Amino acid sequence: MAYQLYRNTTLGNSLQESLDELIQGSLNTYRFCDNVWTFVLNDVEFREVTELIKVDKVKIVACDGKNTGSNTTE
Amino acid sequence: MASAPRPERDLGLLAGCLPPYPPPPTTVGLLSMEQQETYLELYLDQCAAQDDLAPPRSPLFNPVVPYDMYILNASNPDTAFNSNPEVKETSGDFSSVDLSFLPDEVTQENKDQPVISSRHETEESSESQSPQSRLPSPSEQDIGLGLNSSSLSNSHSQLHPGDTDSVRPSPEKPNSDSLSLAPITPMTPMTPVSECCGIVPQLQNIVSTVNLACKLDLKKIALHAKNAEYNPKRFAAVIMRIREPRTTALIFSSGKMVCTGAKSEEQSRLAARKYARVVQKLGFPARFLDFKIQNMVGSCDVRFPIRLEGLVLTHQQFSSYEPELFPGLIYRMVKPRIVLLIFVSGKVVLTGAKERSEIYEAFENIYPILKGFKKA
Repeated sequence: MAYQLYRNTTLGNSLQESLDELIQGSLNTYRFCDNVWTFVLNDVEFREVTELIKVDKVKIVACDGKNTGSNTTE
Repeated sequence: MASAPRPERDLGLLAGCLPPYPPPPTTVGLLSMEQQETYLELYLDQCAAQDDLAPPRSPLFNPVVPYDMYILNASNPDTAFNSNPEVKETSGDFSSVDLSFLPDEVTQENKDQPVISSRHETEESSESQSPQSRLPSPSEQDIGLGLNSSSLSNSHSQLHPGDTDSVRPSPEKPNSDSLSLAPITPMTPMTPVSECCGIVPQLQNIVSTVNLACKLDLKKIALHAKNAEYNPKRFAAVIMRIREPRTTALIFSSGKMVCTGAKSEEQSRLAARKYARVVQKLGFPARFLDFKIQNMVGSCDVRFPIRLEGLVLTHQQFSSYEPELFPGLIYRMVKPRIVLLIFVSGKVVLTGAKERSEIYEAFENIYPILKGFKKA
């Protein structure tokens, strides 16, 4: 039943899920313009097998890739 | 009941007539003048985004402090009483305007007074006219009694026929003698708490539209506002979201905007105002014209299983039930014009309403029918 309730919100091709992520997770802001996604996350852990890096703020800029995707963090 | 007139704002009646429920944080009952002023300012600041209105007609108006206002205050004491420093810092630089939480600062103080007082007066005059026409009807007064005796959360939900703008709690109107019963009586005989064992449909989604009345540069909005998406190849509007009230807005280059996801009429209006303020802060001369609720969705549970086959047989001119297509029965009620999705489990979804009362009325109508088709 819950899914039907979201039908009104999808009338504009929009979903509340990204907002849920905002509330629960560490996603601070998001932006999508000119096919470029920009995310700002807070309190992020980058985990590799050997290493763990914790960071207060991460900005992710992501472009669409067809073998030419680029992904930068600062 | 009215306090002394307040020359600054010409809103004399408001100060003494704040609703006792929910109780303000500091006192129960009448607030001190300072507290009233603070609440007043908070509410008025919220409405600071421009409403385009007719010139003020009468000095009288009814107190219009929205119920949701207090909830917001209770949950965000910091933001409610302090202006938002972050917004002030970036006010000259639109590169990262974060308006996702409740900023109660006044954006254009000069515009506040005439805009807000005329807004109140317009709402009040539309209200004062409609109760007069409704008084002769005894059924509505009975309903008023029924509503008064019901819980305040229910009475908050009733609407004036002439008032599509906002819902006000019933205790707000004690001053008028002729309206000794709650003037918030709806046109049709119905009470949320009634033969239905107190089952009240809960609103799940409100869709509303508003006209910002200026052409918008969507790319600029998408680049400078937080939490915005703009993919013109897929959809010709900016999709923006705010956290409080949790809503999504579709903003079009014509200046028109759709606001979805709110759980109450006031929240929908508040959210729309916040989006308008975001647009305004990005440099566009946004106004707030023709706010209208287009659709309301509610849901509830009758708590017993239903024989949908039987229902579709006896109500075939209203029902459509194709279990292979969709597991719910689609009931198109004629009066009020509401579509109900009825499921075997007893859950009911009601949609298509322009007013809260239509949802309640539709459920009142369907409940006895559903009881007749209780399983086993």
